[in-house]
Amino acid sequence: MAKRLIYPIYQLGNPQLRIFRPTFNMTLVRPGKEQPADTVQFRISMEMTKFDVRNYLEKIYSVPVAAVRTRIQYCTNKKRNHLNQRVKRPDYKVAYVQLSQQQTFQFPDIFPEKEKKHEEGSVEEMQEKFMEDERQRQKPDPRRGGVTEWFGL
Amino acid sequence: MRSSGDTAPCRTNSPRASFRNTTTWGSPAGVTSSESGGAVFPNSIVDINTCRSGGGNGGEDMAVCSRLPLQRFLSASSPRLLSCRNVQAESAAPGPLYPPVLPSRSAKSKSAKRRVLLEFYEQLRGAEPREKIRGLTRIQRMKYVVYPQTFAQGADRWYQHFTKTAYLPGLPDKFTSEAEPHQEQEFEDAVLSELRSLVCNALLQENWHMKKGRTFIHGEQKQYVRPFVTNIVSGLVHSLARTNPVLRLSSLDFDPQVNFYWVHGERTIPRGHRSGRVEPQRFQIDDKPHSQIRIPHQLPEFVPLKAEISAEVPVIQLEPDRLPLFRRQYDNNIYIGAKLEDPCCYGHTQFHVVPDKFHRNKLNKKNLPGHIEVFLRANAITSLYAWTGAQAMYQGFWSEQDVSRPFVSQAIITDGQYFSFFCYQLNTLALSSFSTPNNPRKNLCWGTESLRLYERITDGDVIGWDDNVLKLLVQFLLNKPQN
Repeated sequence: MAKRLIYPIYQLGNPQLRIFRPTFNMTLVRPGKEQPADTVQFRISMEMTKFDVRNYLEKIYSVPVAAVRTRIQYCTNKKRNHLNQRVKRPDYKVAYVQLSQQQTFQFPDIFPEKEKKHEEGSVEEMQEKFMEDERQRQKPDPRRGGVTEWFGL
Repeated sequence: MRSSGDTAPCRTNSPRASFRNTTTWGSPAGVTSSESGGAVFPNSIVDINTCRSGGGNGGEDMAVCSRLPLQRFLSASSPRLLSCRNVQAESAAPGPLYPPVLPSRSAKSKSAKRRVLLEFYEQLRGAEPREKIRGLTRIQRMKYVVYPQTFAQGADRWYQHFTKTAYLPGLPDKFTSEAEPHQEQEFEDAVLSELRSLVCNALLQENWHMKKGRTFIHGEQKQYVRPFVTNIVSGLVHSLARTNPVLRLSSLDFDPQVNFYWVHGERTIPRGHRSGRVEPQRFQIDDKPHSQIRIPHQLPEFVPLKAEISAEVPVIQLEPDRLPLFRRQYDNNIYIGAKLEDPCCYGHTQFHVVPDKFHRNKLNKKNLPGHIEVFLRANAITSLYAWTGAQAMYQGFWSEQDVSRPFVSQAIITDGQYFSFFCYQLNTLALSSFSTPNNPRKNLCWGTESLRLYERITDGDVIGWDDNVLKLLVQFLLNKPQN
């Protein structure tokens, strides 16, 4: 499925200049439901088949593939825009690839939680400190052991 | 509340009532206090008793007694006195005085549902096996359909989890440690050579002598292997009937059906009008082995029921849909291959033929060499669990009434050239039951890898014959119940 490019005419004996790169794309995604350890989930182009997925992974990335299962996710055509026209969210195809040779894959944590630390002496740090003090003041007396002010004098 | 219904009206009326309320001395426990409930003993007896026991005490009591007719309690065998006497004996061993506190039956609560379910199970306990099976399989709901022959990767581990089976490589001690004396060896050799010629002839007949046309796709097993297995099974069974008397009483069936339906585990329904509710996970196996041998008596167990086995049952936390396993709703069937009334209700051996799709050549071409053994194990575990489970249900055992003796069956899975032998012992049907919550028992499956019977066939000759496979086959068929 190459885009139309103008190649010089090929005659027997000429070097093979034509390159056919597929316009297929595969996107590795985090599974919505928990999958077994050897299963990897991809979003693939709608025209791809299971054999295409297998060849893609084996030939280009040399990933050993045991089994591929695909499904098409239908996305809604119900939403409407400001002109009251129906807006279709595009459908996509999902492929579940099971790796062979007992390999496993765990989707990594791409956005780990970072502790925000402001620089010393900056405005944000003073604000943060002030807010922290306010919160401390609002908390009830810890010596009361969680009992509210209602049960008291 | 102390029988307020009883004392309240009396309280307004008479001094008798006030007297009753105040007395505390030595009266039999069940009488003066409110526990009598008023319904058991009429008021007059209460008075008599208190009068009698208070006879020595106070003048105040005597005033009350004098109002009663004297003849009533002069006779020692009057019904009132007799019923007083019995009071002592009953109160010595106090039974439940109030009816048991049960949850409602029709409320929209978990305890109500549980009570209805437990009452239904109580009802089933005393029923005939036919009614038990009917009661458990009557209601149809969506269930996971487990296919014994499957492409799914890692299916044997998943199926072990569904059936609570521990897999033990190798065969049980019965088949591995055979110490035969020398005389028996010669007799064995004669029989063995006869059987060897039988099997070789069957092999050559199907693959060499008979002219068979080319098959359409996926037709090789049906054309070459299935007739071969039919011939050797019937040939071996009939020749070994001399040595193994139980085979004479056995029933050999071709293309039987084996079905089993069971419940294991629970799940919370994620979405839909029933979301949030807890539902049991139902499974169904519909198996069609090539042939089966059924016998009228149970095979002996390989390992005692309570034995400690080191092998573990793999536990998988993911839902079965990830295997992938799909759900359907249809008749819940439990069937061993013959109906309930059949005298041959215990299983002996099953034969399975590997279909073309899962033949080792095809799997090797697809780059799935590891799946060959996985497929055989999964097939054996599920087929034998279904068969033994159905046999147990035919005898009246089910998940609340667990099996009292282990059910044993054997299976041989072949693709014509390679044979694998499996033994299964069903120790428990209670995979998730109310009566045995933490069931320590587990089912056991022994199995071999695939063993090659011959290498190839050329010019009317079988090359690379392996006798051990034939010996193992014969040993399997010679397994007999202890009688």
